[in-house]
Amino acid sequence: MNRRNFLRNTGLASTSLFVPQFLSGYNRNGFAQNGKNLVIIQWSGGNDGLNTLVPFQNDLYYQKRPKLAIPKNKVLRVTDELGFNPMLGGLKNLYDEGLLTVINNVGYPNPVRSHFRSMDIWHTASGSDQYWQTGWLGRYLDQASSDYIPHRALEVDDALVLALKGENRSGFAASDPAKLKRAANNRFLQKIAHHHDHDHEDNVEYLYKTLIDTQSSADYLFEKNKDSKRKGSYPSTQIGKDLATIANLITKDSNTKIYYINMSGFDTHVYQNNRQSRLLKQYNDAIKIFIKDLQKNQKIDDTLIMTFSEFGRRVKENASQGTDHGTANNVYFMGGKLKNPGIFNEAPNLSALDNGDLIYSVDFRRIYASVLKNWLGVDPGDVLLEKFKPLGIV
Amino acid sequence: MPNIRKKLSHLYSRAGFGISLEMLKQKSAIPLSITIDRLLEDAKNREVLDIRLPIFMQASKKGNTKMERKMLSKKLQQENKKVNSAWVEKMASSQNPLLERMTLFWHGHFALISRNNSFVSKSYINTLRTHALGNFGDLVLAIAHDPGMIQFLNNQQNKKGSPNENFARELLELFTIGIGHYREEDVKEAARAFTGWRAKNGVFEFSKKRHDFGNKTFLGQTGNFNGEDIIRIILEKKQTAVFIATKVYKYFVNEKIDKMQVQELADVFYASNYSIEKLMRTIFESEWFYAKKNIGTKIKSPIDLMVGMMKTLQLKMDDQKSLLFIQKMLGQVLLNPPNVAGWSGGKNWIDNATLLFRLNFAGVIFQTTKLNLSAKPELEDKAVRKLRKKISGTMNLSPIMKQLKNMEEVAIYSTLKDWLIPTKLEIEKAEMDLFTKHDTKENYVKTVILRLMSLPEYQMC
Repeated sequence: MNRRNFLRNTGLASTSLFVPQFLSGYNRNGFAQNGKNLVIIQWSGGNDGLNTLVPFQNDLYYQKRPKLAIPKNKVLRVTDELGFNPMLGGLKNLYDEGLLTVINNVGYPNPVRSHFRSMDIWHTASGSDQYWQTGWLGRYLDQASSDYIPHRALEVDDALVLALKGENRSGFAASDPAKLKRAANNRFLQKIAHHHDHDHEDNVEYLYKTLIDTQSSADYLFEKNKDSKRKGSYPSTQIGKDLATIANLITKDSNTKIYYINMSGFDTHVYQNNRQSRLLKQYNDAIKIFIKDLQKNQKIDDTLIMTFSEFGRRVKENASQGTDHGTANNVYFMGGKLKNPGIFNEAPNLSALDNGDLIYSVDFRRIYASVLKNWLGVDPGDVLLEKFKPLGIV
Repeated sequence: MPNIRKKLSHLYSRAGFGISLEMLKQKSAIPLSITIDRLLEDAKNREVLDIRLPIFMQASKKGNTKMERKMLSKKLQQENKKVNSAWVEKMASSQNPLLERMTLFWHGHFALISRNNSFVSKSYINTLRTHALGNFGDLVLAIAHDPGMIQFLNNQQNKKGSPNENFARELLELFTIGIGHYREEDVKEAARAFTGWRAKNGVFEFSKKRHDFGNKTFLGQTGNFNGEDIIRIILEKKQTAVFIATKVYKYFVNEKIDKMQVQELADVFYASNYSIEKLMRTIFESEWFYAKKNIGTKIKSPIDLMVGMMKTLQLKMDDQKSLLFIQKMLGQVLLNPPNVAGWSGGKNWIDNATLLFRLNFAGVIFQTTKLNLSAKPELEDKAVRKLRKKISGTMNLSPIMKQLKNMEEVAIYSTLKDWLIPTKLEIEKAEMDLFTKHDTKENYVKTVILRLMSLPEYQMC
């Protein structure tokens, strides 16, 4: 049995074993072995925040949205001025239980209204005039090279988002661990992986390393995810399936720390209400069960769920019963350890707009700083490359 | 020193998208310098991408009703996908590899995102093709005039009194001189010089009304500068030659730069008044280009990999959509770079998902194309059946078979290996034999190609 076989058979084939700790030079932050999980849900397309958490006492809201505004009597009220979209009953319950924080008016200076560009800004945590090639969570992974596990950050998808791409380390993409295992461990690829130990040129070495990492992670994730009856109890929507996979891994104490999923379709330029209602309902129904599941398995205190979108939408509805690209938006956190559950800050100010758009009051990088510092346990400055005052989220 | 076949493979993988076995045989009988001359000579034929777009695409959007405009933009978006695949097919079928390679390089350099407008995409591609091996100054000016770029970098909004700095900033930071060689003030002043450079109905137009005719101070010079002056002043700085030579070196030679060699290139480039052809000739004619450390040490970009396979296998997809799907799975979509800085390349192409797709790609192609391959690689399952719908086409291996006519297995294997794998290969023939078919010669050739293309080493160029 050669070394590679030994490592595989003993389930130890992870690169962390190939790099002695004392050589890595990193021991300041590392990954705290605190079992904390971060789940990020991305709403792609620019979710309309004003119809998600509705300012139902604001006349301007009803004036600017004669067709799209959610009628007062339908709003699920949580404060004197704000209430949830009728599809978000589950979120209202979470609010009542102190398991939800909503941050209003999140954005960044000189907002960009292009989906792709604005999403890049959220992913990389750059300013709107900077073009960065690495994501904030990728750079977080870079920070702890000595403690490297390929699937430390897992995106439940076929391709990897920029947020999870670092300089030297990246997240891991797997839409379905079983499918991944089949693709990664066919006979031929298993055979050639044996040649990993040979002396390769740097880039070739990198390819081999990525291959064996992928194979061992595929095995690992497959084991953690298999034989679960969980799938049946979750909605059969994409987000339902994705969250069921994540729940399998979390409840089986997978050494994954970050989970990332994407929900798309929020670009509601026409007939917004039908579409948005459908999406919010899917989200609500899946997240409700997910949280219950975490509670039942005593994982709710170890899990933080963040939901964001690349921008909000314009305050005024357009002529096609939709809304166009806007700026500031809400960010949602759920979990058992929220420091300030409830509505975190002031409601959007609809009377002070910039060219018809909301003006942000919370830089999204302050939110990242809080997650990095207080949840992931690293120095935010090392990841965000600039100082941002953490917001008191966790 | 590598032998002539090795040098030719290297030259053609960097200056083009690979070389056929037949051409390898022909060219190895003549001096390398003649081959290089020929490559550069061919590239003088600046054939444009000749894709016919429906006539209404070129019509002004004005005067149409809202409904018509909506239909029009939907059409433009659909047509844009066709421009993308037409470009890929052109790369794969062209007899002018250096022109194709340089055009792709400049697309990464003057990165433009154009997802919605076929007309704009086509004219941008042809701007690059026209100047790909010409004068760099002409290229920069053509880019500054390019309607797509004007739109993408907001020069359309750049007006006297309310300048938009986007184009001017990227011109300095990414396109020419590089960050650290100008001040913030220079960006502002350059933006003023480009005021009124706008696109109208898909063509460049200088708007006197919007142009700021006042004095500007740019990189230490003062005058009533316009855009042309700004470009001229930038090119006067030797640093611009250094910046471009460095980028070209990283792309064509090695990501790890050799300062002396880059300096040599920058000198030649500057002295030739920015002749791109001269710059490329200097690289291909140098001895160091063929040094061992530069051969097979670069990770192929997704486009390299896809176009290379299309050429090698004479692969034709049934549906052009397949080409777009493959680009997405591999992580590089033409006309859709991540941002104005282009693709960062190298190891950044690789994550677990893209690597697996790369390593299984040949398997999928061999199974989904109409080849009647009796060997069934392990991938045959639901995933492949799904992929089969997305990737299907035909391939033609007869030119390869012809070259291997009188050979036995050992010779076939080593010929194919040396041809397809540019780097050292650890796997022995005996080991590969377990994964190849030996019933007929044709099956042997097919399965060897399939297996070689499924190796990490095949990802290198």
